[in-house]
Amino acid sequence: MTALDDEVRIIETGRPPTRFARGWHCLGLAEDFKDGRPHEIEAFGTKLVVFRGEDDGQLHVLNAYCPHMGGNLAQGTVKGDAVACPFHDWRWSGDGRCAGIPYARRVPPRARTRAWISLERNRQLFVWNDPEGNPPPPEVTVPEIAGIHGPDADQWSDWTWKTLRVEGANCREIVDNVVDMAHFYYVHYAFPEYFKNVFDGHVATQYMESSPRGDMELGTLSSGRLRSDASYFGPSYMIDHLYSDVGGGAEMEIVLINCHYPIDADSFLLQYGAIVRRLPGMTDEQAAEAARLTAEGATVGFEQDVEIWQNKTRIDNPLLTEEDGPVYQLRRWYEQFYVDVADVKDEMTRRFEFEIDTQRANTAWRAEVEENLARRAAETGTGA
Amino acid sequence: MRAVECAACGNQVLCEKFSVAHTSVQWTADAAVVCAEFRDRVGPGGTTARVRTCGALRASIDRAVEDGSLTVSALEPGVPGSGTREAVDA
Repeated sequence: MTALDDEVRIIETGRPPTRFARGWHCLGLAEDFKDGRPHEIEAFGTKLVVFRGEDDGQLHVLNAYCPHMGGNLAQGTVKGDAVACPFHDWRWSGDGRCAGIPYARRVPPRARTRAWISLERNRQLFVWNDPEGNPPPPEVTVPEIAGIHGPDADQWSDWTWKTLRVEGANCREIVDNVVDMAHFYYVHYAFPEYFKNVFDGHVATQYMESSPRGDMELGTLSSGRLRSDASYFGPSYMIDHLYSDVGGGAEMEIVLINCHYPIDADSFLLQYGAIVRRLPGMTDEQAAEAARLTAEGATVGFEQDVEIWQNKTRIDNPLLTEEDGPVYQLRRWYEQFYVDVADVKDEMTRRFEFEIDTQRANTAWRAEVEENLARRAAETGTGA
Repeated sequence: MRAVECAACGNQVLCEKFSVAHTSVQWTADAAVVCAEFRDRVGPGGTTARVRTCGALRASIDRAVEDGSLTVSALEPGVPGSGTREAVDA
């Protein structure tokens, strides 16, 4: 009995980190925060309020709870360039200073709340999280999607944007997807025919070329061969450049964003969205529709990801094969965002490359899909 | 993992091959500084993160496989260099 137990692989679940990752986190589409009302964001184990100043036109991010008596500013109103607490009308400016207390003779000298450093880019809003309280270094800033701002911005469609709240899982689960070649077949319904990872500095990249599984329908994402060139810039914001074969030698260029922010150690908000670069002859509406179909196609896979995460266990010692990607090296890279800057080790940031031999896996999967299609044809043939 | 030296610039990396198509490369210094091809491509202060590969290094790795100095071997959990946490932490 003992001898047998010795051979059993024991899962080490470990514990989610006690701090939240240092880095830029996307909160959503900037436009969605510009309706003149304060918006509540549950993130980093607390609540934030996002509002746009009426005069400065800027988006601001503050701690949601008013330092006076703890009122929730997200339930308040925007007054000028400040957000007013619904409890006693204390006014808070975008820089965190108290801008006024209408009923009080004077504002207390230490009346200051936390203002989060924010950034508007790619028509999205980002906040900087750093447990050490340092400002964001310029080299880790959010990259701009080429052409999305400026005179040629109309070449890109509008964003189709979606969110999924994931309870009972730490956000490391979604980051693991970067290296998980095989799950793209089972969960996202593609044949990953080429798969390579590069981790270098604060960037983790996945290069993938895939074909759609013939037995599943995913809209734009299953129309033909797909090249995907996807990088996490920091711990939570992935820009995925997708090139979709639309026939006749033409390729459609899609940018798929896959990002998240932690709600707490055991839940996170997954967000994803797509834009499409207009092909010659494509109208704005057609481009927007292509973006919508891309996001819809991605939804199938992401919803299945979430179902897996919410039912799986955290595992610190995954058991791997040669066809699995470099999970341990990815987590070593990811660790850099959870330690103080002074404790970031070379091994976390030094370049690492891993190219998977996908041939055996795809041979097995092609045979399985053929079987599925044959069975389906037989069932249709017999009227079953 | 075995050390492989780039024939073009002399930079040394650590490599592992599970098959002819599989390649794992661990750089041991700042790629943008030590690799001549990357240096030319990204310029001073640039980042190599979004460069997929170094052609000269890749050719050197292929040659190391051909001349037998880098052997193609199966992943063995627990063996340094293979896909385990123990190997990564080592």
